Amino acid sequence: MKIRKVVTVIEEISQEGGRAVSPAARVAIVAAVIENPWAGQGFVEDLSAGIDATASDLGALLAPAVLAALGTPAEAYGKAAIVGLNGEVEHGSALIHTLKFGDHFRKAANATTLLPAVEKRATAGTIFDIPLKHITDATIRSHHQSVEVRIDDAPHADEIIVALAAASQGRPQQRLAALSTEQ
Amino acid sequence: MAATATKLSDWLRKIVLYQEDVKDEHGAPPAVPAVRATVAAVIRNPWLGTGPGEVLAGQAEAVAPHLARALSDRLKAALGGAEEIEAFGKAAIVGTAGEIEHGGALIHTPYFGNLFREFLEGESIICFADSRSDAGQALIVPMWHKHAPATRSHYQTIAARVSDGPRPDEIVVIAAASTGPRPHARIGDRKTDQVVTAEKLEHVFA
Repeated sequence: MKIRKVVTVIEEISQEGGRAVSPAARVAIVAAVIENPWAGQGFVEDLSAGIDATASDLGALLAPAVLAALGTPAEAYGKAAIVGLNGEVEHGSALIHTLKFGDHFRKAANATTLLPAVEKRATAGTIFDIPLKHITDATIRSHHQSVEVRIDDAPHADEIIVALAAASQGRPQQRLAALSTEQ
Repeated sequence: MAATATKLSDWLRKIVLYQEDVKDEHGAPPAVPAVRATVAAVIRNPWLGTGPGEVLAGQAEAVAPHLARALSDRLKAALGGAEEIEAFGKAAIVGTAGEIEHGGALIHTPYFGNLFREFLEGESIICFADSRSDAGQALIVPMWHKHAPATRSHYQTIAARVSDGPRPDEIVVIAAASTGPRPHARIGDRKTDQVVTAEKLEHVFA
């Protein structure tokens, strides 16, 4: 795995809707900008070799880093793969839609649910939104949220951004009725 | 009249840290690795609804010191302390209901600049950028060496952006820092430059 850079973003929201949020709501993202493992190879039928060489290492790098950046236990989480223009969305999906990647985060966060994800192909500097859901019950409506990320010069055409996001809480002023009240 | 005591929480909506750790640049790891970061505070514009005749000093004294401390604390925490920081810069993005001058009042007066310099243990004048824009617009923040601003290896920039700020009635105040030079700095320095004049370069112009 060739990493060009690692980007960390931490949002601390202390006011929302004109009211204080206390303690501040925290959301952290850690993103690795890597060389697309399949760059320059044309259509690769079997992606497993690249997955085996990359996905677990990425998960092992990003999972502890995003939890350290968050600084508090994660209650919601999500992931992203943004593929540079020369690659396939399938390349990004290959790296993040495997237990080899996600299990690092689930284990580190004591989580059980599937990680919600965004995958797209885009130019450097693209804006992408990472969806987050509760780490043990994806039906918990208060924790449905997303966070926006932009890296000025990534992904290059032969790169992929792979990111994890974690939130310390649900939405800052969450006050919607639970799903169960509508059933 | 001295400003009365205030809390940053009276003004602050959110703080966003953005950090980049470059492992490889153009095919090779940096000889001198550096980590760069910005910290952006989104605050309500203290001068909202005032005109060009408004004196800005009072609120600058009340608000800017809090920003200098909050942003410096987070930069130091992210980058390993003031002793690790070699370059710095600052910026303001004013929402569309304000004046650029409002951003200037928060970053260009001693109430911010002197304190930011003190907290990061530098001596240089602090380079800057400012703009007035809608939420989500990026601003490129320049940085230079905190002790010796003419140190060419440390001329560098970082993009700062807050997805939902500034709203029209807000200002985003940004502090930036780097722990080292550009990834492959190799364009000499004032000490190594030849004396260059138009006359000496006649062979180039010829």
